[in-house]
Amino acid sequence: MKNQKYIFLYALILTIIVFNIGIYMGYKLESSRIDKINDMYLEAEMELLDQRIQKDTLDVINLDCDLLVQENIQFADRIFEEALLIKKYEDANKMNDKIKFQHKRFDLLRTLFWINSMRIKEKCNSDYHNLVYIYDYNNPSIKQNARQKFFSKVLGELKEKFGDKIMLIPIAGDNNIPSINLLMKKYEINELPTILIDENIKITELETMEDIEQYLN
Amino acid sequence: MYLLLIFLLLYLKNKKDIFYSPETKKKYTISLIVPCWNEEETIAETIEHLLQIEYSGLKKIIIVDDCSSDNSYKIAKKYEENYPKKVQVIQTPKQTGNAAGAKIYGSGFVDTELIGFVDADSYPEKASIKKLVGFFDNPKTGAVTCTIVPRNRNKLLEKMQVIEYNTIAFTRKLLGYLDAIYTTPGPLAVYRKSAFDKIGGFDKNNLTEDIEIAWSLINQGYEIKMDLSTSTTTTAPDKFKEWYKQRRRWGIGGIQCIAKYKKEFMKKGILGMFIIPFFILQFFLGILGLGVFIYLVTTRTISNLLFVTYSVPVGTPLVTMNELYITPSFLNYLGIVLFIVGGIFTLIILSIMKNTVLKKQNIFNILFYSGLYLSVYPVIALSSLYNYFKRNNSWR
Repeated sequence: MKNQKYIFLYALILTIIVFNIGIYMGYKLESSRIDKINDMYLEAEMELLDQRIQKDTLDVINLDCDLLVQENIQFADRIFEEALLIKKYEDANKMNDKIKFQHKRFDLLRTLFWINSMRIKEKCNSDYHNLVYIYDYNNPSIKQNARQKFFSKVLGELKEKFGDKIMLIPIAGDNNIPSINLLMKKYEINELPTILIDENIKITELETMEDIEQYLN
Repeated sequence: MYLLLIFLLLYLKNKKDIFYSPETKKKYTISLIVPCWNEEETIAETIEHLLQIEYSGLKKIIIVDDCSSDNSYKIAKKYEENYPKKVQVIQTPKQTGNAAGAKIYGSGFVDTELIGFVDADSYPEKASIKKLVGFFDNPKTGAVTCTIVPRNRNKLLEKMQVIEYNTIAFTRKLLGYLDAIYTTPGPLAVYRKSAFDKIGGFDKNNLTEDIEIAWSLINQGYEIKMDLSTSTTTTAPDKFKEWYKQRRRWGIGGIQCIAKYKKEFMKKGILGMFIIPFFILQFFLGILGLGVFIYLVTTRTISNLLFVTYSVPVGTPLVTMNELYITPSFLNYLGIVLFIVGGIFTLIILSIMKNTVLKKQNIFNILFYSGLYLSVYPVIALSSLYNYFKRNNSWR
């Protein structure tokens, strides 16, 4: 019988081809997700810029504060939803590290939004609450992971209950971004995850919903 | 994926002669040895089947009783009385404790050109020997085996083994084109007596003497062939515990073979370059996969338990609609593709083998086989490794 050991080589070449096609398709799939995040970022960035202009214009001319606050809240709702989607994409992405870079950009954008929101609240004398959720992004322990999942659910519940009265802003607290580090230092946030309510109350433990709702009523 | 492609290419290349049995004009003399220990339920039927074998070169059927405590010896003796020229029944001086011991003892009574071994619960087809002997015209052929299929096919575990045995038979035939058949299974295998003697027969210290002897033959430069067109039926374990024990024995035997032939690893030749690495990789990947699986399940279980502990007192929902929309990773897709390709490969095998051995299989059985049945193997690999190092190597 003719020696057929060359099959080993043929199969190896075919495996390499199939493997590379798989890797390429996987990379394309993940890249398309990153492109989608990028589009979301650009849109959010533009919207935030518009809001900053509106806020800055308040100093010069009298604008409709209610409308500005309303737009601000809607924007907050959207970035919270987007944060959940990005989290899903991050969990699913195995090959393309660019998503981490995108996450940092979003963190900066959300921080900018937070500061803007503080100013709008002050200028318009509004009664909505800023709920900044600062979490461990890079290396959460099993316990932290469970707690963060739980906090995320709590925030979702609060949003459903309080609607436009609260502004949800999720920010990663361990991405080593100087501006975020400064804010964390200022508000003495040493533990992750932490929910910061109105730049004043820190919540790291939660036993009942009333523990947090008392600050929102 | 690499292995699947090897099998696919081999099949495409050789599909025309996959059921081919070479004919021979030479009449080889052959003796069949049946090692027997407490097989009173099947030994008579086995001898009946052997007596019906259509091959005039068959000189002797030697039943080697390994000091059974049941009626096996008596039953076999009756056949010796009825067929004194054909059947010879002998008993080991003391119980050897494994199949290899009885086989080695019996081989001392053989003076034919070929020597065959048949398990005492296995029934070869009438034409089996006639089809196998043709392969010995090639002087390099050291042993020939055939398709082995379970006889009992009613319970789910038995059906799984029907799929498994057919897959093994088919892939073994394909490996034959690479001279890489790594086992000569107990239900029926025929050896060239001179080759058998040259390698010193079976290793009685190995739990899978049928794998060890194959490696030994290959190591001595012999080839092992496989005939897919004839089959031998055997009794497959019908209880999980027995099945698990049998597979663990195979696993330990495999490790014993790796340990015995470790010096051949990566040396020139199919044994060192393919068979040994293939066995090592099987164990390594199986145990690695099991480790990753256990780690993921454990961490996720702990995380979910903690999450429930936090959530229940507060009254937050445990699952929301958003979580039901799964975002699969590239690796998930890859896993699904591999699962589908593996399933299609099994289906192809079963459709090819259907003509000879398979009566009926349905999609559920194939999915169960691919998804659950095979996933027990990493556990068996780990258990085999543990028992090997613990020297828990009893055959029975």
